[in-house]
Amino acid sequence: MVRKNKGYITLFLLPTVVLFIIVYAVSIVILFGTSFTEWSSGRKPVFIGLANYIQLFTDDSDFRKSFLNTGVWVLLQSTIHVAIGTVFAIILNMKEFYWKFARTVYMFPNIISGAAVGMLFLCMLNPDFGAVNSIVRLFGNADYAQNWFMDYTTAFFSVTMTWLPYAAVVTILILAEIAAIPESLFESARIDGASELKINFYIILPMLRNIIGTCVILAGTSMLQKMDIIMMTTGGGPGNETMNLPIYIYKTALMENNFGYSNSVGVFLIGFGLVFVLLCRNLFRIGSSQN
Amino acid sequence: MRILRKGLVVLKYAFVLLIILLSLGPFLWVLMASFKTNAEILNNSLGWPKSFRFSNYVMAFKIAPLSRFYINSVIVGIFGTLLNLLLLGMAGYVLARFQFRFKNLLMGAFSLSLLIPGAAMLQPLYLTVNTLGLYDKVVGLIIVYAGFGLPVSLYILSSYFLTIPKEMEESAYLDGASFIQTFFRIILPISKPGFGTAGVMQFLLCWNEFQFAIILTTGNQSRTLPLALYYFKSQFASDYGVMFAATMVVIIPSILVYILLQKQVVSGLAAGAVKG
Repeated sequence: MVRKNKGYITLFLLPTVVLFIIVYAVSIVILFGTSFTEWSSGRKPVFIGLANYIQLFTDDSDFRKSFLNTGVWVLLQSTIHVAIGTVFAIILNMKEFYWKFARTVYMFPNIISGAAVGMLFLCMLNPDFGAVNSIVRLFGNADYAQNWFMDYTTAFFSVTMTWLPYAAVVTILILAEIAAIPESLFESARIDGASELKINFYIILPMLRNIIGTCVILAGTSMLQKMDIIMMTTGGGPGNETMNLPIYIYKTALMENNFGYSNSVGVFLIGFGLVFVLLCRNLFRIGSSQN
Repeated sequence: MRILRKGLVVLKYAFVLLIILLSLGPFLWVLMASFKTNAEILNNSLGWPKSFRFSNYVMAFKIAPLSRFYINSVIVGIFGTLLNLLLLGMAGYVLARFQFRFKNLLMGAFSLSLLIPGAAMLQPLYLTVNTLGLYDKVVGLIIVYAGFGLPVSLYILSSYFLTIPKEMEESAYLDGASFIQTFFRIILPISKPGFGTAGVMQFLLCWNEFQFAIILTTGNQSRTLPLALYYFKSQFASDYGVMFAATMVVIIPSILVYILLQKQVVSGLAAGAVKG
């Protein structure tokens, strides 16, 4: 049977292999290859060794700011964001009257297009008619007109708030994991007289190590591709206040046509992601059995 | 101890309320505002609209070629999903069922694609799509999105195929069915739930994607809905109500898909995460 099917196996795999080559393999070869070249649109790439990388680290304040911002966002997302999602999952798991409603509604900001999320927040935080400023005005300060996204002091915070609280994916993953814990564990703890709070802390939480590790990786790496919301709200500004690596790649590649240079940033971004994933896998000992 | 416990309960409800408010608040506020006139928005930003008029929605479709963008989004969503499901269904089936040379190499390569942030591929993919003559074409977006969904769809589908007992195919072969007949007549129909889950995830990816839509298209002929918000932000800016209406037009389909197919979305997310 195996011999007879060999042709079909190739036939069934070939289209996906072609798709993989077009989208990923070719891209990676171009990315790494041209990251060592000086290359702008209409010209041929010229090999310049490590010059792009050296410039990135010694003489590029926009890159440093983008790297720093990306790092801070990865850190916030893999800690606070995951913590919010985990706590919410544990609360929802008590299955009180609101739990299904809350679970559904929490997902809304995660399921809609990032461009639309950006637009929602752009409206909410509009200095003239935005809901946030209107609420502040209700409480006395009638002239309050904070320009959240364009003011140096608030821009970073405002952009962060468009994703930090919205941890529905974490919540859903953790709820699924809790549902898989055998009921007998809780029973025996209850018989021993443990309170619900103690059960949450000493039984459920330790069982969640693997999935929390996975969530940390997912949440952290999602920050390596955040572009749509930033493009919609601040465009990386004011100045380079909210610039991150994806926005920086977009700017150098498609607005300055500095392809070789932007691809060296791309290589750096991939490396950054790999280091982060490996670090988390070790930290949470993902893959090894519980305890 | 009693006070502490009461405090915790209060804290719990405050937290739940805050989360619901943060999730639903912006959405409901923009929905309300999409029925208001400019004057209402400026003077009565927090209140109910005077009447539920749809003129903002009508205007939104007039100011921006939203219907063109809508059609593009629907085409990209449907065909990006169908292409992805067909290719990954075939590949996932073979990878789940048969042993052959290079299998592990192939699986390794496919799952490596999860580790590459999309932004790193911006310029290289632009070059590839351009070279293939697919720049500013809906087909280009369809192919690229089918590729982006490769790792998640492959994982969801091949895990589903693994749950199907081998006897199903063996009896089909005994009845004289060919390999292709067995796949399309026997395997596909019983794998509907797996395809449903992968399909919903893939559709949402196609519908919401922004960063490659922006670099692979130019002009209104092949742009998708998320881009409408970006490019017409300034045109809408003078007429706030229209801007709100346009935002709702983009949001509502995603929310409808989610509410109708919540089960698939949830299991799709879980499957994707296990892979990561």
